[in-house]
Amino acid sequence: MIKHAYIHIPFCEKICTYCDFCKMFYHEKWVNEYLDQLEKEIKTKYNNDTLETIYIGGGTPSCLNIKQLEQLLEITTNLKKSTNLEFTIECNFENTTKEKLQLFHKFGVNRLSFGIETINKKQAEFLGRNISKKQIIKILNTAKFIGFTNINVDLMYAFPNQTIIDIKEDLEFLFSLDINHISTYSLIIEKNTKIGLQNIKSISEDLEYEMYNYICQELGKRGFIHYEISNFAKPNYKSKHNLCYWKNKEYYGFGLGASSYLENKRITNTRSLTKYLQEEYIKEEEIIIKEEQIEYEIILNLRTKEGINLKKFKNKYGIEVKDAYNYFSLLLHGLLKEEQENLFIPEDKWYISNEIIVKLLEGEKEV
Amino acid sequence: MKQENIRNFCIIAHIDHGKSTLADRILEKTKALEKRELKEQMLDSMDIERERGITIKLNAVRLTYSYDNSEYYFHLIDTPGHVDFSYEVSRSLAACEGALLVVDATQGVEAQTLANLYLALDNNLTIIPVINKIDLPSANPDKVIKELEELGFSEEEIVLTSAKTGEGIEKLLETIIRKIPAPAGNKSNKLQALIFDSLFDPYRGVITSIRVVEGEVKVGDIIKMMETNAVYDVIGLSINTPKEEKKTSLKAGEVGYLYASIKSISDVHVGDTITLESNSATKKLPGYKPMKPMVYCGLYPIESSKFEDLREALEKLKLNDAALVYEPETSKALGFGFRCGFLGLLHMEITEERIEREFNIELIATSPSVVYEVILTDGSKTIVDSPTKMPKRELISKTLEPYVKSNIFTPSEYIGPIMELCQDKRGTFLNIDYLSQERVTINYEIPLSEIVYDFFDRMKSCTKGYASFDYEVIGYKESNLVKMDILLNGEIVDALSVIVHKDFAYNRGKTVVEKLKEIIPRQLFEVPIQAAIGTHVIARTDIKAMRKNVLAKCYGGDVSRKKKLLEKQKEGKKRMKKIGSVEVPQEAFLSILTTDTKK
Repeated sequence: MIKHAYIHIPFCEKICTYCDFCKMFYHEKWVNEYLDQLEKEIKTKYNNDTLETIYIGGGTPSCLNIKQLEQLLEITTNLKKSTNLEFTIECNFENTTKEKLQLFHKFGVNRLSFGIETINKKQAEFLGRNISKKQIIKILNTAKFIGFTNINVDLMYAFPNQTIIDIKEDLEFLFSLDINHISTYSLIIEKNTKIGLQNIKSISEDLEYEMYNYICQELGKRGFIHYEISNFAKPNYKSKHNLCYWKNKEYYGFGLGASSYLENKRITNTRSLTKYLQEEYIKEEEIIIKEEQIEYEIILNLRTKEGINLKKFKNKYGIEVKDAYNYFSLLLHGLLKEEQENLFIPEDKWYISNEIIVKLLEGEKEV
Repeated sequence: MKQENIRNFCIIAHIDHGKSTLADRILEKTKALEKRELKEQMLDSMDIERERGITIKLNAVRLTYSYDNSEYYFHLIDTPGHVDFSYEVSRSLAACEGALLVVDATQGVEAQTLANLYLALDNNLTIIPVINKIDLPSANPDKVIKELEELGFSEEEIVLTSAKTGEGIEKLLETIIRKIPAPAGNKSNKLQALIFDSLFDPYRGVITSIRVVEGEVKVGDIIKMMETNAVYDVIGLSINTPKEEKKTSLKAGEVGYLYASIKSISDVHVGDTITLESNSATKKLPGYKPMKPMVYCGLYPIESSKFEDLREALEKLKLNDAALVYEPETSKALGFGFRCGFLGLLHMEITEERIEREFNIELIATSPSVVYEVILTDGSKTIVDSPTKMPKRELISKTLEPYVKSNIFTPSEYIGPIMELCQDKRGTFLNIDYLSQERVTINYEIPLSEIVYDFFDRMKSCTKGYASFDYEVIGYKESNLVKMDILLNGEIVDALSVIVHKDFAYNRGKTVVEKLKEIIPRQLFEVPIQAAIGTHVIARTDIKAMRKNVLAKCYGGDVSRKKKLLEKQKEGKKRMKKIGSVEVPQEAFLSILTTDTKK
């Protein structure tokens, strides 16, 4: 039974300078054709499973016009939903209106995710974004008024020339919004983005570390639980959809460039709109054998606070983690911890989690 | 062939002055080869030789040339052109009566031109000066003629050639006949044949290149090596024309190849004298010297599973290279490998390159070391060819290191920088000679270890590549030497230890630790890098702890991208050497060599 679905809307009104994801400029005719095709794709793939989470991401889903959004949400009515469904849509403050929010609410969307990134004018400009605090406050108040209680905002840091004081200002503003979920990402300068092409350099590793620590500390003080490497939530507001990835669950991915994990196959959809519109959805399909499933399980689980549940792991794969990997020295150096049923990376070591995971994988035993 | 119609000669030149091309042209003119058969540079038979433009192994060829209604035999003996092989050069010179001294018309006289000229004069050879490459637009034969006049040649005896166009070659061949004396020696005397080269053939065993000086050797003779007293049956004699031609005997004055079921090249010593067992000559030919490696380094396979392959590769190379020595060595840092001895740096580089290229084994080479002598407090002497063999300081009474007399040839505008470099390298000034207004030779006595350590690179950069350089080892001198260790996280990394002069240790230590800090990536924990003499730390820096290694954003469930990234990271680690808990990239082991090139 698949319980999760991701739907990708690859259109944006403006392209952000750092974005490396599958996106293109909004174009009314293409959006219309795309939505028709998306409906077809869902019909061919969807197996009538009852879903616990649906996540509409982008791109910028909120840049679609009201008619298109209605069509999109209409498509989701074909999906069977459980009673405790978490239904998220990603929005931008630039193009989210009261009308659109009401539409979301009507179709059962119960979680909103906004990309703020930063409210510092200079840095927002650097990212290719432009929103005022006033606009943000107004839209969030509207959303709350309509009945949305589960709201996430994205915060980005580690911009060139950024200081801890700048971050403090960003955080203080976020706290004033009284929201219950924050995702934070450091700026990664990817090759084929605008800033990548401009040859912008990352800030120093040490300063970034300082910023990261500061953010974790401040969010902690405000009652946010750091439940996954990039995600913080007030109690009861963890994103169930987000967690499905880290718990190595299976999920549908519909739309351009989307990824699915179905029946031990990892499937990546094409990023070419032309191909997609010709119903050539899939770019590649990889069968995940048991050894790789175990690797995925470890890599993904270790991103969360709970880490690997050793009992569940044994039940799922018929082998103990310690029989598959030798991680004694990682425990010894405090890079991994084992408490009760769980094996996890302590929160204060998350900033080097890749290194720790690689070391764990290196300790692979012959089984 | 009458003995008076034989001419034995070689070609000597500075590197790249066109020696091999000139040899090709002579082969063509004497119709030894049709033009189309002529692979560029026929006498160089190894790939690396052809690529690097240097001749490593010797070759001898017999050419037939008609002049003035008589037939002549030319034995052309090709010689290696580099200082590392100067002993081999001197032995092949000893097999000749004459030498063509080739000078590039665009470059003029260089360090090895002089070194080779002196070697040839030491062997009493008749010298024919040749200015080559006169076809080039930048050729300046008049200037080169002046330089040669400074060396004692007269303008009339200088032959101008272009090996490329063939100009002057006929005249050169006539000059060879007229000027170079026919070999002396008498075929009825007792056999004395000089071994001037050897190579290993998988079917016939060791093949020796010989020059019969006195007497005659025939197939079936029982011969004796006078240095080793080893005895063999002569199975075959031949000469290259350059195709192989079998002979039944070789007489006084002749040059050729001899094979005798000799299993190992180490049984044949270049410079040794062959005689007959039953009718032995009483005296060896002069000039024999045993070959001694001057530079040692550790060679380790990057993949430790390739240790046995490396052993096999060294065994195979050794078949054709008597000067190469090796023995197994273990390093805590690098695992199993071999300590290898070489005649010099070039010999070392060529060997490394051949192992990597011909045997497909990726290598880590540790920093080269010269051979030190250590006198212990009890008066005994120890030979130290590796820093790990250095005795404890309290047991040492004194240390000695090999010195060379260096001969640097340079345009006069670089005298200053060169002298500064030599002083920097602990050199003692000997003298300076003006060959002309613009060209000088500078002689310094310098420790060989300083030559091994980045001397060439620095000389090249401070003279824009215009200076050339040559040296000969002159013996051992006392020197205040210490072993400097490098510690990572408090642990000595044996492969990074070096022996240095005490006064230089501080600077060297500082540059090495700084360089390592650049090369070694951040680790999970802060790692101190120290340079120490004994327990005394002379330089220190820290590799900071890693502050970031995490992938934050995971777009729309694309977790395979994350896994691929981790796999890449894991692959990267495989190429690192683990020293204690520190992961060290391969380049770190070279860093000790390449420091302070710019000062």
